[in-house]
Amino acid sequence: MERHRESRWGKARVAGLGIVGALAAAALVAGNAAPATAQATYEIEPREPEYLYERTCGYCHGHNIAPIIRGRQLPAAVTAAIVRSGMGAMPAFKPTEITDQELQALTAWLEASEADPEEHGA
Amino acid sequence: MSNGFSRREVMAIGGAIAGTAVMTPLARARMLPAEMDRDVFAGVVRELRAIVGDEWVFADEASTISYRKSGIPDLRGEHIPSGAVAPANVEQVQAILAVANRYKLPLWPISTGKNMGYGMATPASSGQMILDLKRMNKILDFDAELGTILVEPGVTYQQIQDYIDEHDLPYWIDVPTVGPIVSMVGNTLERGVGYTPYGDHFFMQCGMEVVLADGTVLKTGMGSIENGNTWQAFKWGYGPYLDGIFTQSNFGIVTKLGMWMMPKPPAYKPFMVRSAEVEDISAITNVTRPFRMNNLIPNAVMMMGALYQLSMFNRRADIWQEEGPIPTEVIKNLARQNELGMWNTFFALYGTEETIAATEPIIRSAYETVGGEVLTDAELNGNPYFEHNKALMRGGLTLEEKGLVRWWGKSGGAVAFAPVAPAKGSETAGQTNLAIEVMNKWGFDYAPAYVVGSRELHHIIFLMFDKGDDENSAKAEQCMNEMITRFGERGWAAYRSSVSTMDLVAQQYGDANREVNARIKQALDPNHIIAPGKQGIA
Ligand SMILES: Cc1cc2nc3c(=O)[nH]c(=O)nc-3n(C[C@H](O)[C@H](O)[C@H](O)COP(=O)(O)OP(=O)(O)OC[C@H]3O[C@@H](n4cnc5c(N)ncnc54)[C@H](O)[C@@H]3O)c2cc1C
Ligand code: HEC
Repeated sequence: MERHRESRWGKARVAGLGIVGALAAAALVAGNAAPATAQATYEIEPREPEYLYERTCGYCHGHNIAPIIRGRQLPAAVTAAIVRSGMGAMPAFKPTEITDQELQALTAWLEASEADPEEHGA
Repeated sequence: MSNGFSRREVMAIGGAIAGTAVMTPLARARMLPAEMDRDVFAGVVRELRAIVGDEWVFADEASTISYRKSGIPDLRGEHIPSGAVAPANVEQVQAILAVANRYKLPLWPISTGKNMGYGMATPASSGQMILDLKRMNKILDFDAELGTILVEPGVTYQQIQDYIDEHDLPYWIDVPTVGPIVSMVGNTLERGVGYTPYGDHFFMQCGMEVVLADGTVLKTGMGSIENGNTWQAFKWGYGPYLDGIFTQSNFGIVTKLGMWMMPKPPAYKPFMVRSAEVEDISAITNVTRPFRMNNLIPNAVMMMGALYQLSMFNRRADIWQEEGPIPTEVIKNLARQNELGMWNTFFALYGTEETIAATEPIIRSAYETVGGEVLTDAELNGNPYFEHNKALMRGGLTLEEKGLVRWWGKSGGAVAFAPVAPAKGSETAGQTNLAIEVMNKWGFDYAPAYVVGSRELHHIIFLMFDKGDDENSAKAEQCMNEMITRFGERGWAAYRSSVSTMDLVAQQYGDANREVNARIKQALDPNHIIAPGKQGIA
């Protein structure tokens, strides 16, 4: 069944996109013959505070379901403890997810950060 | 203080950090593995450190705090781990298993440990050591022609999306509603669900690598063929199909998993069907079923109860301050203010503009026949509830649904109950009435969603409670037990369960099932070191 679904999309793509689509598809195939697709390592650590905030904290904080935490000068040690233990609806984040070093930088960055007017707390 | 914390709060949190640092698990006997004395445990910890390095064994009160966090009731401390060990590769997993066998140390494997609503990283019984596989976090292969991926347990959906973006690959991910922080492996092993046409994750799984308790490395399906390259292309292999016995199971530790990825369609159109009354759920289910059977609607259809949706972005106290469950009229009014009905049914069409235009009128008229208002971006663009499901149905990353865990405010908790039934309207009426009766009796609000996967109906009930209040937590526990039991009496059982009710649900599946599982367990893991109690298997 899934094979049908896949081939149907395959056709649909080419039909829907016409010549340009078909060329793009061909380019894709050619392009992918060469590059290694395996990831030798993921994300060279340490990851930057902004990067971690955007990909973790920022999905909740300032995004309708959790309090704003930027621009509040939250003490770094307190934030770090909350991240490790979790808090109410907030899950805990383990050293295997965010290393101690990364957490230190993240919480220091948060403490010094400006509020972002685009964010919407809750 | 200007940061919004009271001085007392800061002191309390600071005190907690300082206080826990000096304690060890040895100070709390109940965290140790049941039949192991502390000297032996200390020796085990030393051996584990020698395998993974000092920094990747967590065996004191302070460093295990992240592994103890959970959002379900645990009043008697029955789900407290003894510690955690985090291997970096398969060889280390094998070495850890050898130690565990030698000392009969129970190990509870997790991929990212975000099994939210079901106990997070916590084990089925106290004293198990968490085997945290998060450090094994590589995307080992992404075949861009075939649309297949091979990942390690620590790979999150966010990581896969980043990889797709970085390499500009024409594929979509399919996520549970909590995608950014959870694992493709963990979710698929629990037989979790998402919301694109690739939403039945185990259906889309193809090939896995499993380390058995004795260290044997098994590659399922086509994975063990010498010089083979079909591992992620053909699910079934040869002879008995084994992948299934390693899902929702404690028969082995999965270290690699293959999945099929959905080709990005040229066009995508999300819909919401608004239905005014609680009773409408039955008719909507009957309209939905044939479209899932003939695949005219290619993704799982989500029928969201208004309160489930509202609880994402609202706190209970803002809506209702009196005793007892919130009256239907109050919910209805708030729903209306947010352009929602009592049920809001989400599905999408995928393909080209032409195929969508051809299909849409057929589906539209079917829902309209039962009084549904069929709405799209034209009417609802920007509505946060519509945007939420619109994102999910195209594999979008969001954590908005975690808002429902805050329903009761600070120190919120939520435990999930997900019974399955045939996708027939008559079933929804019975299930909804029973859930309302039991939940209201214990003082909880019924916040439901139904999902028509294929021929079945998943009824997702989040029991939201106040985890900071022991009395309320006790009620939540009793309410959940009563729901499981009373649904069971009607022939409705859960497709998955929290660590606190694994045995209860396993009983409902009968003695023969339990006995067969027990025999397989005995054959593969005679010392019962892998996740004892998982799904009721000792
Ligand atoms: C608001 C909310 C919404 C949610 N929405 C959804 C949803 O839409 N769909 C859905 O499916 N879930 C949903 N969940 C539940 C849950 O959060 C997800 O299923 C999540 O993916 C599970 O966590 P994880 O991926 O970190 O798995 P883990 O916690 O790592 O694993 C879950 C379990 O699987 C077993 N396991 C994990 N890895 C291995 C391994 N390598 N070898 C052997 N056994 C292993 C263990 O028993 C473990 O406890 C939701 C939860 C909440 C609170
Ligand atoms: C899944 C959503 C979610 C994620 C992801 C998340 N948090 Fe939270 N966080 C919350 C919620 C909800 C609260 C409020 C808890 C309560 O009041 O019970 C909270 C509370 C906090 C607080 C206390 C704020 C206050 O005013 O009381 C801090 C500090 C914090 N989080 C930091 C972080 C950091 C740093 C990250 C990223 C590493 C993060 N959180 C990730 C949901 C989240």
